[in-house]
Amino acid sequence: MSETRTTAAASETAGTAETAAPADERAPAAAAVPPTRFERFFDAFTGTVFGRHQAAVVRIGFGLAWLGFLLREWPHRRVLYGDRSPWSAELSDGLLSATHAFTVLSWSDGRLWFETLYHLGIAAAVLMVLGWRTRATAVLFAVTVLSLQNRNVLVGDGGDNVVHLMAMYLVLVRSGLVWSLDARRRARRAAAAPAGEVRAVADALATMLHNCGMVIIAAQVVLIYSTAGWYKVQGSRWQDGTALHYPLHLDYFTPWPELSALLGSSLLITFVLSYGTVVLQVAFPFTLVNRRLKNVLLALMIAEHSAIAVVLGLPFFSLAMIAADLVFLPTGFLLRLGAVRLPAGWRRST
Amino acid sequence: MRTWSTPALAVICLSGAGMLGGTALLLGVLFLHNAPPNALSQQYREQLDGIVYPEFEQNWKLFAPNPLQQNVTVEARVQTIAEDGEVHIRDWVGLTARDAAAIRHNPAPSHVDQNMLRRAWDFYESTHPTEEGAPAPGQRGKLAEEYLKRIALQRFGRTAGGERILQIQFRSAAVAVPPPAWSTEQPAEPVAPQELPWWPVDEDDYRGLL
Repeated sequence: MSETRTTAAASETAGTAETAAPADERAPAAAAVPPTRFERFFDAFTGTVFGRHQAAVVRIGFGLAWLGFLLREWPHRRVLYGDRSPWSAELSDGLLSATHAFTVLSWSDGRLWFETLYHLGIAAAVLMVLGWRTRATAVLFAVTVLSLQNRNVLVGDGGDNVVHLMAMYLVLVRSGLVWSLDARRRARRAAAAPAGEVRAVADALATMLHNCGMVIIAAQVVLIYSTAGWYKVQGSRWQDGTALHYPLHLDYFTPWPELSALLGSSLLITFVLSYGTVVLQVAFPFTLVNRRLKNVLLALMIAEHSAIAVVLGLPFFSLAMIAADLVFLPTGFLLRLGAVRLPAGWRRST
Repeated sequence: MRTWSTPALAVICLSGAGMLGGTALLLGVLFLHNAPPNALSQQYREQLDGIVYPEFEQNWKLFAPNPLQQNVTVEARVQTIAEDGEVHIRDWVGLTARDAAAIRHNPAPSHVDQNMLRRAWDFYESTHPTEEGAPAPGQRGKLAEEYLKRIALQRFGRTAGGERILQIQFRSAAVAVPPPAWSTEQPAEPVAPQELPWWPVDEDDYRGLL
């Protein structure tokens, strides 16, 4: 295994280095000497694409969230971000001149430019889900997300915020190594030509960037839950166990008042869900050291977000949060998922 | 794994160190941005803001420390002028009530109904502090006023009752959500609605809206 093109080994779990130590001037070790801790770290960091399945599900999740959102708002697109917006191009420019946020929509306020970008956003979201030319698609995806959201930051909510951040982080990671059209294409021409060193260096750089990106994505999710949880601990309503009652009676977040009333009618349910939410959010980061406990909490959080989607009328917020949660799915579960799906769908065409 | 040439190793090591450093820096900054204001974040406020804004801004105090406990309603009315020059003041229209109606029984409410007016009003309030001695609304305040006016005008249209709209006025009330049935807490006293001054409406305010 002197050749480390991770792309060629795309569908395998990449092995860490046990063979020759790298030519490292600090430790010119003989071949027989076991690698030092630094060498093992170096090889893993530069040669192992960590969490490739997780990266793929996060990519698919955010692709679906943005696609669903853009399609849902399609009839309202011009009012939200385009030429019919109450947040006119002049108002937007007034704010952007202070914030310097990135949006290609400030280049022109013509309708054609806007429509092009909006539909490019839809296309980028579809291609994200499919994993076609994933890196270029991820860049286009991020450009459309930032451009539309920054055109009118005043219509967003927490869901938009997550999509905004993750769209940027997804540019960093190699999310197309599995479960993508890219992976299928690569598998077809598996016998790739041996790579030169320049190519290998580029590959190592991409792998390092990916590994940093995955750390950022995971840490971002931890920050979300920690912040949400620890600030709740200080709130009197979360302390007295009635917090859940209040959102269930806000006009903006009660699409199903009967359901909300039913959920909030019981003292016990209100208390358990209020306390449970805080415990879940505060505890989650600490459970990452214990796989089994982490998986239980992950399932609970996904369940809670699914409930929020319906009860509070926030489907795209919930979808984005669930997509972010997926970064913590166990690899074994994802592999089983892939094994169930692959023979039925993907393999037929390869 | 692989035997690298010295230049290759130099490129990898330098880039790798840069990436690790960048990752650590970003995560440290994001942590301080999310943490309560503290000695460290106040000391380096400018540098932190320089990294966080505009693209890494985030606020995860979701329903925290306490969930919102009041329904804020925004209403607007217009003053119109008839062809003979007579001026009328029309009835209040519940803009928030219309949003709520659009959200009801909708599995995927639009941002137009769920966020636009709600957040525009928040923006208005944040740029127009009512405490005594508060500074006069600045540039953002002007943006917030124009935005609010245009949101309402888009919903009213150019005329009301067949007469051209001359001026528009907003009022807002906050109705506390009553405590749960089993609670011994007393419901909060209703607060008088806050009325804004009349704002003139001209053709320019409608640009692109209809």
